[in-house]
Amino acid sequence: MASPKFEKKQFSRNSSVGKGLALIYKFTLMVTKLSHATLYVTDQNKALDFYSKTLGFKVHTDATMESGFRWLAVTPPDQPDLHITLLSPLNEFMYKDEDVRAAFKLLLDKGALGAGVFYTPDCRATYEELKAKGVVFRGEPKEQFYGIEAILTDGCGNWFSMTQPKQI
Amino acid sequence: MNISLVLYRKIVAGKIYMDQNLHDPINLQHISRNACISRFHFHRLFTRVYKRTPHQYLTKKRIRLACELLSEEKLSVTEICNSVGFASMGSFSTLFKKEMGIGPSMYRHHAITRRQEEIKKPTSFIPHCFIDGFTQI
Repeated sequence: MASPKFEKKQFSRNSSVGKGLALIYKFTLMVTKLSHATLYVTDQNKALDFYSKTLGFKVHTDATMESGFRWLAVTPPDQPDLHITLLSPLNEFMYKDEDVRAAFKLLLDKGALGAGVFYTPDCRATYEELKAKGVVFRGEPKEQFYGIEAILTDGCGNWFSMTQPKQI
Repeated sequence: MNISLVLYRKIVAGKIYMDQNLHDPINLQHISRNACISRFHFHRLFTRVYKRTPHQYLTKKRIRLACELLSEEKLSVTEICNSVGFASMGSFSTLFKKEMGIGPSMYRHHAITRRQEEIKKPTSFIPHCFIDGFTQI
């Protein structure tokens, strides 16, 4: 009967089998990370102001095509390879169908589109700073079982959780 | 140890003071005075909250501002160095290269070339699924 020690040794990273498996793993994985994520916003100029000036994100690309479609991508300070594209679905250059635009407008006005979670190393400090800059929060930071959280809006139809994860 | 709300506000006041006075030669004494807290106390709490020292934060912020100015082509590299609060061109270049991996002049060259490309061929910066998908609905 093989002992657990023997099993572990057989597949350790330093062994030739382990190295072989790591190589296969490296070349067979097709998707390894998220590079672009879209956030729908009611106003791209306002969103640019919020994400770059208030949150401190870097503007990666701001290009307008001949058709009028504007590609606006920002990257968080510690994730330079994650492009968050701020697109306006209310713009006819993006969606020609009026019903689609109206549906998006309703969802954005109600704040019903799921947005995301921002990481912060210190929720209370960031809350005080953003509040001083005029950002609207749903309330003060609260202790949750997963960390300290405050809910904020970008003023363009999206609500985010800003969380300082609990240290384990 | 938890930090009280009053102290949080003082640390944030110091950070906002740094953000608003990047262009001037400010030091820890100016910042802590503005935050109404001792230098030692401010340094310790700031480092604890933001996981970097006030000096590291200020340098990074200045380099970032320099990057924006370098992309705009309005000021010379020396003017940018002075306007973002660096005392000498030598320290600016060294710190810039350490942070960005390339020197200020090279960064400007890359940024301007990229911006021209964005204007000339905007579609080359957009994944095709976006162009094809959205314009058909």
